[in-house]
Amino acid sequence: MTDHSEDATHRLEGGDVAPGDVMHGEFTAGWRSYVLGLIIAVGLTVASFLVARTHLIYGPSIDMALATLAVAQMGIHLIFFLHITTGPDNTNNVLALAFGILIVGLVVFGSVWIMYHLNQNMMPMPLTTSPQSGGM
Amino acid sequence: MTATELHGRDPYRLGHAGVEGHHDLATGHGEGGPAPKRIIVGYGFWIFLLSDFVMFSAFFATYAVLRDRTAGGPGPQQLFDITDTALETGALLLSSFACGLMSLEMERKRLWATEAWMLVTGLLGFVFVFLEGKEFAHLVSMGHGPQSSAFLTAFFTLVGCHGLHVSIGLLWLGTMMAQVYFKGFRHYIQLRVMCFSLFWHALDIIWVAIFTLVYLIGVRG
Amino acid sequence: MKLLGKLDWSAVPFDQPIPLAAGGLVIVVILGVVALIVAKGWLPYVWNEWICSVDHKRIGVMYCTLAMVMLIRGFIDALMMRTQQSVAFQSPGYLPPEHYDQIFSAHGTIMIFFVAMPFVIGLINFVVPLQLGIRDVAFPTLNSVALWLTASGVLLVNMSLVVGEFSRVGWLPYPPLSELTYSPGVGVDYYCWGLQISGIGTLAGGINIVTTILKMRAPGLSYTRMPMFCWTALASNLLIIAAFPVLTATLAMLLLDRYLGFHFFTNTAGGNQMMFMNLIWIWGHPEVYILILPAFGIYSEVVSTFSSKPLFGYRSMIVATMAICIISFLVWLHHFFTMGPGGDVNGFFGIASMVIAVPTGVKIFNWLFTMYGGTVRFSVPMMWSIAFMITFVIGGMTGVMLAIPPADFILHNSLFLVAHFHNVIIPGVLFAAFAGYEYWFPKAFGFTLDERWGKAAFWFWVIGFYLAFTPLYIMGLEGMPRRMQSYDVPQWHMWANIATVGALSILCGILCMVAQLVVSIRTRDQRRDEYGDPWDGRSLEWILPSPPPEFNFAVMPNVTGEEPYWGLKEAAREHQRITRPVPEYEDLEMPRNSPTGFVCAFFAVMMGFALIWHIWWLLIVGFIGAYATLVVFSWRDIRERIIPKEEVARIDLENRAKRNLALQEGRI
Repeated sequence: MTDHSEDATHRLEGGDVAPGDVMHGEFTAGWRSYVLGLIIAVGLTVASFLVARTHLIYGPSIDMALATLAVAQMGIHLIFFLHITTGPDNTNNVLALAFGILIVGLVVFGSVWIMYHLNQNMMPMPLTTSPQSGGM
Repeated sequence: MTATELHGRDPYRLGHAGVEGHHDLATGHGEGGPAPKRIIVGYGFWIFLLSDFVMFSAFFATYAVLRDRTAGGPGPQQLFDITDTALETGALLLSSFACGLMSLEMERKRLWATEAWMLVTGLLGFVFVFLEGKEFAHLVSMGHGPQSSAFLTAFFTLVGCHGLHVSIGLLWLGTMMAQVYFKGFRHYIQLRVMCFSLFWHALDIIWVAIFTLVYLIGVRG
Repeated sequence: MKLLGKLDWSAVPFDQPIPLAAGGLVIVVILGVVALIVAKGWLPYVWNEWICSVDHKRIGVMYCTLAMVMLIRGFIDALMMRTQQSVAFQSPGYLPPEHYDQIFSAHGTIMIFFVAMPFVIGLINFVVPLQLGIRDVAFPTLNSVALWLTASGVLLVNMSLVVGEFSRVGWLPYPPLSELTYSPGVGVDYYCWGLQISGIGTLAGGINIVTTILKMRAPGLSYTRMPMFCWTALASNLLIIAAFPVLTATLAMLLLDRYLGFHFFTNTAGGNQMMFMNLIWIWGHPEVYILILPAFGIYSEVVSTFSSKPLFGYRSMIVATMAICIISFLVWLHHFFTMGPGGDVNGFFGIASMVIAVPTGVKIFNWLFTMYGGTVRFSVPMMWSIAFMITFVIGGMTGVMLAIPPADFILHNSLFLVAHFHNVIIPGVLFAAFAGYEYWFPKAFGFTLDERWGKAAFWFWVIGFYLAFTPLYIMGLEGMPRRMQSYDVPQWHMWANIATVGALSILCGILCMVAQLVVSIRTRDQRRDEYGDPWDGRSLEWILPSPPPEFNFAVMPNVTGEEPYWGLKEAAREHQRITRPVPEYEDLEMPRNSPTGFVCAFFAVMMGFALIWHIWWLLIVGFIGAYATLVVFSWRDIRERIIPKEEVARIDLENRAKRNLALQEGRI
């Protein structure tokens, strides 16, 4: 199709690619990438569940280990499934992702930080156990 | 025949990009003129996905803040069954993989292989939604519905929002299956399927955050 | 009446004459306009050329029209509040508390969401593709959907005037007051669903503009050659993409509390109200910059054009814009210093709030230095810009005062705060919108606006602004809280009366603007913009005829430097004719118009109304309708229509001839 050849030319010219856009017509290479991604992702998932359910690593560090595994797996998904890479043709995609990560980080960590301090400074309140006993 | 096919190029690409001796043709550097439709659509959808991540981050932050507010009721340790979570994770991961193979078959323009992988993607997605629905129904039947505590409110909303996304994705996938069947691999339909697969992979990324933060770290307390 | 959910005749406020009369008047006016259109046989034109239009210029014009109509609605609310506070000294005034509360809630909601937002978005829509040298935005039909979803939100919020009631809890629905326990009526639901629907439209528009700017610029138009307005539009729309999803999530949580008995923000079962303040301001503070950054862009264009000089410190302006874009996400806690996050948290956010004044100061100095040494022409847009610089600096100063947490403990929730944010947002957004309206009006319609009426409007507005809001600072320092329906303190009364005089002066300003529009339309034949460059402009939109053809550019420009149009114009002036050779014209494909946006919005209103009144069958009908609309749209085969090259050539050659004549006569 003509528009495809144009896409190909565009990439040859050093243009950029859309997210999820790799390897037109290279079926085997694409297939290999997805299988590799699946294998790593399954490995990381199994590792997460193992770490959570067993005592293979030092107790207090388990949460950190789980978080690390999750971040690693998200990275694997981004690279092998969404095809976000660090190549020059991907600059805009990666910049947008970086902006998104910055905002997500600010929202989550900012909220947790602020709310922790707000709770610390709260007046002691009578403990309400359920909506029924709340006396609304 | 679409206008795109008629003229053999993107309707927006009308300039004389690249003929005047510009060395850097990446549109990211603004020298090459408007990008092809495929890149415009993919990039626009990528930004939408990032905005969706930001929306989820608000639900994640709320869950993190309200996690300990069980109002005297049960917490994550008492309620969650990791085995179900593992099954759901497996279903969604395989669904994402099937979706990837679907887009490869679409590149090769093989109608039945594409439709088959779409069906596999959808069925696995349906298994995920079914398992999640079963878990929700189980919790509600035990009297631990979203109305019983702030923790459960946040849990049902965060996980339910992801489930809602998957359900909408299934509706979208069904529509795309029909469209590919009736209209074939037109350029703009391929772009839509590409957007769908981006959406589907992105939901898997959010699920990784959910099963780690809510379930795995949750049951450890 | 189960069929209609909670809706019955008691929803219509027969006992309250003011909203009933106002609502009745609005309905009569709308029916009158519709009747006129049908009677004159304009319906096919309005439907095909405007309602179904996916042309970014028409969509921009419709956004701005919507904003101006809503400005009048929001201003009437303001006038009612001012007069109430004038008469309500030691008396109940003429507005009962429950009505007064609806008025200040509606005023804030309408002014931010349905005046400032659509005005700014409308100008962005109209101008950015022209400045980028392209034919349309990235997703033209999505653009139309976004417009009509915004209009749906407007419709729902205004519907509350006659069916049910509006929210009484302020422009942001703080829980627990907004929870079902304390606000059992439909007011908060109208607010939430109205904003959810228009919020989807805003997000879609934001994605559209960012994609357009990053991926669709004319060849050679690199980042450091983009006009300043495009840069600020980019920053603003990035903020929309980052902030509006948080608003959607937050309002969804409040709605879940209200509809399904969830416990996000309730007093019971562990809910946490402060999480609402936290989340809503994560959206709310960037929202301020979503509005004000494009305004800075408009001022940059206007100041540079009317000083006949390139913008001073162009690159520092870009850095300042992007710095504001990021820092605006680090200051949200200054909206709730007093809720007790403690010293270190307050300290961090207080300092961040002050830091954001630095890039803003950079911008002010850049505009001043642009004017310095230039040949300044005091046309109406330039006058708005100068009034902005002076007024905005005062507002910024009081903002820095409020950013100091100990000072904020004394001043928060007082009229001082109200004075501060009006002091930044009226010059910062509204004056910019007016400047942009005067500046780009000839581009959109082909004739200029009347200068004398424009100057009269300007003086009434600026004097009215100072009369209305300086007293509010004083009242705030004298301890008057915001949102008071009546009061007994004699010291406040005189200031309240002065503020009312100010509001009346602004009313005169608005009337002058209406007169200006009427007079300009009537005398349009004498004020034609013949060749498309009435202000001696510098960016690419002025290369086009006014109004531009549907396809904007007959041939895509090839940009070789900053201020590309200025460079071409210099060469043309030297030779007294257009130096570019006549290009080879080609057939152009433009996206076909589509009713998708309007039909989607119809079903969105249906769903919103059904949700507000708990009419569940109607909700299902609306959902099926919206889904069916999208499927029908996606099924169409012919997506573009072709404009033959003869037509393109005719339009372009005609403009070239007019320009050549003007060049020979020395008018350009």
